[in-house]
Amino acid sequence: MDKPQLIEHLHESVNYTVYDTKWIPLSAKFVVLGSKPNSHGILDIYELNEDKLEKVKSVEKKAAFKCGTFGASSLRNRHMAIGDFEGRLQVLDLEHPDLAVYNVKAHSGIINCIDAIGGTQLECGAPEIVTGSRDGSIKVWDIRQGQDPVVDISPPSQMGDGINRSNLRRDCWAIAFGNTYNEEERLIAAGYDNGDLKLFDLRAMGVRWEATIRNGICGLEFDRRDIPMNKLAVTTLEGGLLVYDMRTQHPTKGFSYVEERNAGRSVGTNGVITGPKATVWTVRHVPQNRDVFLTGGGTGSIRLWKYEYPDRRVLEDADGNKEGVAGKLQMVSAVTLSSQPVHSFDWHPDKLGLAVAGAFDQSVRVLITTKLNTL
Amino acid sequence: MEKSKTLLEKYQIPIGHLDFGYVEKCGNAREMEKIVMILRSGEEGYFPDLTRCAEEKLKQLKPDSKLFRTEEKIQHSNVLDKHELKPIYDWTNEIKNKDNALSELKEDASLPSMDLPPVRKTTKIEIDKDETETPKSKAASAPSARPQSKSTNEQRIKSTDYSKWDKYNPDEEILRMDLEQERAKEQAQIKLKSVLQPTSKEEQIKQCESAEEQRLQAQLKTLTQVEREQYAERFRLRGNDYFKAKEYDNAIKEYTRAIAFDPAQAARPYNNRAISYLKLKNYLLAIEDCEACLRLEPHNVKALLRLADAKYSQGHRRESYGIYQRVLELEPENASAMKSLAQLRHQVGELAPAHATRMVIEELPSDTAPVKNKTEKPADATVKDVQLKEYDLAELVKPNRLIKSKIASAAEALGGTLKSPNSIANAQKQQLQHMMQKVSTAQSQLRLPQSNCAASTNQKLLIQELK
Repeated sequence: MDKPQLIEHLHESVNYTVYDTKWIPLSAKFVVLGSKPNSHGILDIYELNEDKLEKVKSVEKKAAFKCGTFGASSLRNRHMAIGDFEGRLQVLDLEHPDLAVYNVKAHSGIINCIDAIGGTQLECGAPEIVTGSRDGSIKVWDIRQGQDPVVDISPPSQMGDGINRSNLRRDCWAIAFGNTYNEEERLIAAGYDNGDLKLFDLRAMGVRWEATIRNGICGLEFDRRDIPMNKLAVTTLEGGLLVYDMRTQHPTKGFSYVEERNAGRSVGTNGVITGPKATVWTVRHVPQNRDVFLTGGGTGSIRLWKYEYPDRRVLEDADGNKEGVAGKLQMVSAVTLSSQPVHSFDWHPDKLGLAVAGAFDQSVRVLITTKLNTL
Repeated sequence: MEKSKTLLEKYQIPIGHLDFGYVEKCGNAREMEKIVMILRSGEEGYFPDLTRCAEEKLKQLKPDSKLFRTEEKIQHSNVLDKHELKPIYDWTNEIKNKDNALSELKEDASLPSMDLPPVRKTTKIEIDKDETETPKSKAASAPSARPQSKSTNEQRIKSTDYSKWDKYNPDEEILRMDLEQERAKEQAQIKLKSVLQPTSKEEQIKQCESAEEQRLQAQLKTLTQVEREQYAERFRLRGNDYFKAKEYDNAIKEYTRAIAFDPAQAARPYNNRAISYLKLKNYLLAIEDCEACLRLEPHNVKALLRLADAKYSQGHRRESYGIYQRVLELEPENASAMKSLAQLRHQVGELAPAHATRMVIEELPSDTAPVKNKTEKPADATVKDVQLKEYDLAELVKPNRLIKSKIASAAEALGGTLKSPNSIANAQKQQLQHMMQKVSTAQSQLRLPQSNCAASTNQKLLIQELK
């Protein structure tokens, strides 16, 4: 076999629902965030010790944890920003987790998604955390500033019959920073439950582009956060996977994309992928190769994809406008990991092929991918 | 609703096509995919042999068809050999040391803190007002830019309203629609342009590269060794990303930063930068980088191969030959070194002697040249021109002894003795000249290596010698 192979290295069952898994940068440790049956939040730190996992620390808090990130913390402090079910954003020092470094009631509803940037990137602007919530708003936080967000992207306040209209507020499901290649440029891509995809420009302070996809957006990620934006991968309900070429924006057509409608399709007979469509929960690019990424699906499968660029990435149409050309998607490998959806996945930033995955079957797995460098 | 269509009806494939004979003949991959899907569905019955036959045919026609995507159960790490797992265990131990070093750093308050960019000014982005009327937007099924809802103040003319239809001028309407379209397009372009305009700061940064350098140095001072290594590694990986995407200029920039952050362990970025320079055909810099890499890692085979390649391209073929031989000493089985050596051996007689000197021709970057011209006085320029004229290359090419004149004079003498008409003499002259040409080409061919090298390399060699 000369193609990459996904292999389960270690398996750890836990007694709570796992919501997020993240490697601590420059260490062999990862954090598991979850919710106990009594809806208390739990944070476990595990350490990789050759062929076993060792629980280093366990922290319990009142509200269930939903998502976390190390993106805004420097290598020196490695603080984790966590969003919880009650809309609270806290930044924890994992050595002293009892007292939060920063703590703010960020949203009125659950924080669905979080992303952060600026911690380890040099000359890429201030470290900032962005949160997306069920209350429909997106807020950008700088922990050096008090209790107010630095940027607040909210739907306009609704007048009149509040009860009837409140359910029209969109639920923000996925969020990602991108295009942060100097101190001023910064973008946020946000995906909503109705399939709206919005691109907010934090330099020009406005909506740069928007589109609507067939299904609700569950996951999105730029292939790299800290370069002029190159590609954006989007995953949706009912098995959709779209990869946008973000280099060229056409004045009217926007960004071009390649779509894979059966990315979440489950396994039929003989291991052939023909079954019903299922949600694609998450997408994560390999930190060492931006054209290879992994999706985690509702059928408990994880799939490795490779994006192939077209011969020419830009074409000029009859009016002299530049239009991007999308490439092709190739499925490199697919394995069934669990009987339940695999909804969180994290590649180790410093070791090619090492990853941790969390699934709704109350377990975390450490995975090894062989021969990734051959792609 | 009646029962849903069968796949056969949906794809509109005649049932006769589900046949061994047709499957053998079929050359259309798309149709084959449909046939395989119908057979697999079992709607038309269960034909295991035909299905297998059709799948094999499809594999021939379209090996990467989506129908061959399969998923397996995940395998556990016991399928891996010990030696495959060992790098991971080693890495775990190594990263733990770094981890501990970082944890100590955290406690050490004496370290200079990194200066962070200022906090952003608090702002709000209003999502478009039409967000409240979401049901409308749902209609747009395809992911496309939302069409701008145009206010149509023009009321629709009823089909029975003949008096209005009489006044209706289709040409005018078409013109108006075109204009409207154009205006919308223009506005979209203006909007995009305003977004894409580079920031003033970006331009400033470009202008003061030296300030950039100073800032980098200041930044380096605030970082500890562990952090610097980490940053260097990140930059190198980013460089690799760019290299893979064939953006060599950007890759070189990233590698340069990686070298600046961790000069002690910069062998890999040097090596990678060398290959980037090679791709850009900047051989002198490639040679420099290879040598820098070899100073850090004297037995780096990749660096040696690149150095040999760069030297060859630069015209130092004897040195290149020596380097390839060194590669073979380190790795006797190295295929590319053996191949290159075999090629070089054919040219070895052609090589300049080891003690020969060579003039280095360095290409100046184009942007500095005009600046020089401006600073110099025009008078100087004219002087330069004159000098250039004096330096006539043709003089160098001329052979020392002119055989041609001899032959010509001999021919003249012959003509003189025979007193033949001019026309004959001319013809003879031409013949002689023709012969001479033949002789000269034969000589030049002789000078070339008589090898199985491609003609193109022969030409290349000639050109390089002339350089």
